[in-house]
Amino acid sequence: MHHVAVVRSQVPRGRIVAVDCRQALETAGVTGVFTGADVGLRLYGRRVRDVPVLAVDEVRFVGERVAAVVAESRSVAEKAAATVIVEVEELPSTLDLEKALTPGSPRVHDTPWAYPGAVVSEADPHNLQSRVRHGRPDEVERRLAASRHVVDSVYTFASGHQGYLEPQTCVASVDSDGTVHVWMANKSPYRLRAQLAACLEMPPERIEIHPVAIGGDFGGKGSPMDAPLCIELARRTGRPVKLVQRYDEDLTSANPRHSGRIRVRVGCDGGGRLTAFAADALFDGGAYGGFKPIATVSLHGLADIGSSYRVPAAAVEARIAYTNTVPRGHMRAPGAPEAVFAFESALDELASKAGLNPAEIRRRNLLRTGEANPWGETWVESRGLETLEAALAAYRPLDVDRGLRHGRGIAVYDRPTTTGKTSLRLLPGDEGVVVEVPMPETGTGVHTVVREGLARALGIEPHLVEVRQVSTAALPHDDGVGGSRVTAALSQAVAEAAAAFSRGGSDQPVTVLVEPSDTPHVTAFCVQIAQVAVDPDSGQVRVLEILSAVDVAEVVNPSAHRLQIEGGAAMGYGLACLEDLVMREGRVWAANLGEFRIPSTVDVPVWRTVLVEGARGVGALGVKSVGELGNVPTAAAIAGAVADATGVRARDLPITAEKVYDLLHSEVVA
Amino acid sequence: MDPEFTAPASLEEAVGDLERDGAVAVGGGTQVGLLVRQGLIEPCRLVWLGRIAGLREIRTDADGSLLIGAAATLAEIAASPLVRSVQPMVVRAASQVGNARVRAVGTLGGHLVHADPRQDLPPCLLVLAAEVRLLGRKGTRDMPLRDFIRGPFETAIQDGELLIRVKIPPNPRDTRCCYLRFTPGSSNDYPTVGVAALADLSDGMTRRAAVGLGGVAPRPLLVELPQLAGRALDAAAIAVAGQAAATACDPASDQRGSAAYKRAMARLWTVRALRACSL
Amino acid sequence: MKLAFLLNGEAFETEAPGGALLLDLIRGQGLCGTREGCGVGVCGACTVLVDRDPVSSCIFLAGCAQGRQVWTVEGIARREPDLVEAFIEHEGLQCGACTSGQLVMAAALRAKGKDPGEAGTRDFLAGNLCRCTGYQSIVDSVRAALGS
Repeated sequence: MHHVAVVRSQVPRGRIVAVDCRQALETAGVTGVFTGADVGLRLYGRRVRDVPVLAVDEVRFVGERVAAVVAESRSVAEKAAATVIVEVEELPSTLDLEKALTPGSPRVHDTPWAYPGAVVSEADPHNLQSRVRHGRPDEVERRLAASRHVVDSVYTFASGHQGYLEPQTCVASVDSDGTVHVWMANKSPYRLRAQLAACLEMPPERIEIHPVAIGGDFGGKGSPMDAPLCIELARRTGRPVKLVQRYDEDLTSANPRHSGRIRVRVGCDGGGRLTAFAADALFDGGAYGGFKPIATVSLHGLADIGSSYRVPAAAVEARIAYTNTVPRGHMRAPGAPEAVFAFESALDELASKAGLNPAEIRRRNLLRTGEANPWGETWVESRGLETLEAALAAYRPLDVDRGLRHGRGIAVYDRPTTTGKTSLRLLPGDEGVVVEVPMPETGTGVHTVVREGLARALGIEPHLVEVRQVSTAALPHDDGVGGSRVTAALSQAVAEAAAAFSRGGSDQPVTVLVEPSDTPHVTAFCVQIAQVAVDPDSGQVRVLEILSAVDVAEVVNPSAHRLQIEGGAAMGYGLACLEDLVMREGRVWAANLGEFRIPSTVDVPVWRTVLVEGARGVGALGVKSVGELGNVPTAAAIAGAVADATGVRARDLPITAEKVYDLLHSEVVA
Repeated sequence: MDPEFTAPASLEEAVGDLERDGAVAVGGGTQVGLLVRQGLIEPCRLVWLGRIAGLREIRTDADGSLLIGAAATLAEIAASPLVRSVQPMVVRAASQVGNARVRAVGTLGGHLVHADPRQDLPPCLLVLAAEVRLLGRKGTRDMPLRDFIRGPFETAIQDGELLIRVKIPPNPRDTRCCYLRFTPGSSNDYPTVGVAALADLSDGMTRRAAVGLGGVAPRPLLVELPQLAGRALDAAAIAVAGQAAATACDPASDQRGSAAYKRAMARLWTVRALRACSL
Repeated sequence: MKLAFLLNGEAFETEAPGGALLLDLIRGQGLCGTREGCGVGVCGACTVLVDRDPVSSCIFLAGCAQGRQVWTVEGIARREPDLVEAFIEHEGLQCGACTSGQLVMAAALRAKGKDPGEAGTRDFLAGNLCRCTGYQSIVDSVRAALGS
């Protein structure tokens, strides 16, 4: 096996004039050096296919792959890569999000509408990556104009990184008959296979994705990333190749979170009942849209803004722009932490105007069972109120040191439980059974859920169930880990497999492929209450506690479930208070984990979790999703707590001490 | 280029090993290892000091000065009953540097020679009037720490020299010290501002007060406060000190704070540190 | 340089470049429990013990291990299986990427012989990042291993 080091663009935009690899080629231990000229223009993407495997003619962001060195060892490859000289004629670049969609801004792509899967047209602003519009804007304007109280605020968000501890990794090999083998930290192997097939123009059956364990995903490991490059290199060098990103590469050139802003205008009547809202979101998608998987090439959470409430009229427009910065991707409930931050903050600001406290305005407006949410969706039940009351009942104020100001904030989020297609195979084992599953373990406890679910269904002890992830050649399909769909989808598969297995005498292998569609339409609420202690003289915000009340049905593995909530809240806290993937002049400046800091043991607040049991769940086990709940309302709850403590409203994430200090000293009132 | 690695058993041998151009001394290696790994330095020789007997010693000398060998680790200093009894502020600062792995092997000498302007120990050692001893081929020379640290990552150490010892003179009878590190973001990050306050309150009033400031200038600052001499260390005096700290600093805007914020925090935390001294 | 040290209790000898880092040597021996995370000594995924000291092996110059005892998670798990049990019982892991480092730190803390309490435990682990758990289950696991 040989190793790959990547040569990357040092400018945000330019024309590649020449790539001088001579010194690298002459280095002992180097197998080959390849550029876009060698590989040709090959594009990949999860939905829109606009990402070049290696840049051809043009570079579009600092960090873009320009050349790849293959060598006997990683250190030889890296040393040789440092000698490659990339001559680029730098061109004016688009770095400012607000200007990106204006006619004068340099084009990030010449013809973005022409990419397969593109959702923009030639008539759109030339740097538009996607635009989603829902709702009834005219009706909203009418109602807002007639509303007793209206808030009109803008909330802004820095970029951030998923922060998985294992960086992006890939191994590829190609058999003599052309069959491609991939081992990769990727959480959706079947989708990866399809994406690779499309990029490399080969049948998916000739590509096998092999099982691996994954050191954290959080939305950042769902794309082909370096796999198409590794496959091309394996083909050209005739040997397996391995590419492991150094962490600085991952921070600066993988697929971090979108930065951006959301403007919310929301109104209520004299009794604090919501009348209408309009949300206008503009986010920075970076140089490529190919790292986003949904058909609209947008962030689902943005379009769902305000979903937890009863509102007669709503409108949202979410635009994502191309800029010459690192392409952005998904992170745990994509768009939702930002949308909830904006909406919940605006709701608090509205409550102030209407003379209500944050709990009361929510009581009056939370969606009840039988009501449609602002986007027309109805649920078999809506337990927001119970969840809110459970959180409030469990709340206990903490003492703070003299001189510090105590504050409490509340935020609400609801997330539907989806399923999706999956398969598995159940076989007799030496002692119990073996279950072959198609999805990797990324740390969410998927394999545990399968084991527990099967053990229950078969009436045996869990330790007698052995779970094995198998390659894509061995099972028909899985939609991949993501969207909190796994437990629900798997529970269906588990139930069917167990039943068939038992019917067959428990000694014949059984393969099932399920696509649950009759799922009851279910959403899960999470209400968080944050307590903070603010030092008014420095602006420092110490988050003391995050109390999460979670609306649950059946909980298959209570401790795994609890860890998803606590780990989620930790991520939410990091987004709220710490994490800023600082960029300057188009370059990611926070290029290591010493600069981009994620929470440590001594940063995190106390976690308290209250389960609001008794909900109807989905699938044979009757479950609700939890993976993308705990991280979403945290920032909003913390901002609300800061406002409660100080009277000032932080509208820009992360909420740093300096920002609070400046707000206090400019006497802006919540 | 692959460096040579030597592990001298004596100071004499170490000085000999360092005579080569491009030779770098290694204490715990936490800084040198990082710089080598990142390709930021390409030494021709790495001279590891870990085998030199006596270089880690912590003791007092006849006049009551605390002597800390340059190879003493930050963890050893933080855990030393002797340091705790004689200079508790040094224990406090040493116990908060970096993380437990850095402290386990990082040495005082390595820490001081690295001279990051945000570090925790230099402000403390400055107000305590610490002196460093350097050893080279020509012999030893002693230097006050305030002259030793010249700028960001820049010290007075010359090629072929080793820092072998730090000496902290004894404090007058009723000396109060307090080190506060302000980390508004992640707790085990470098501080946005670090303040080491010292007040000699013999005879019931301030004989000497000073603060050491980290993170607010290209190098750690020693701010003597003669304006406080002969006065009570009361709120008015402490406010004057805060103003002096704000005036003295020359902060740069960066991710850990804008220049204006750092200046304001230099004032605030100076006030808080001196207030703690006055209790 | 010629290196000789004890690796997980067994004699180990090798030739390595003077600038070699301990992590690369360890993984080169097939001991892949020790992982490269951040590469700058901040995250702790690469933690090993050198004698009793926990170090970031990704920035630890291998020459400094000469003649000493190096313990990786594999060796520690064999010599202290109850540490592993504590982590399993208290669910001190999810994806596992940080777990090797957490286990090694737990061993280092236990070897100090005194229980620093919950706050002291958190302080000791502050340089071992985890993105999955939110830390409470890790702290519980380590405290259980300390016998509290």
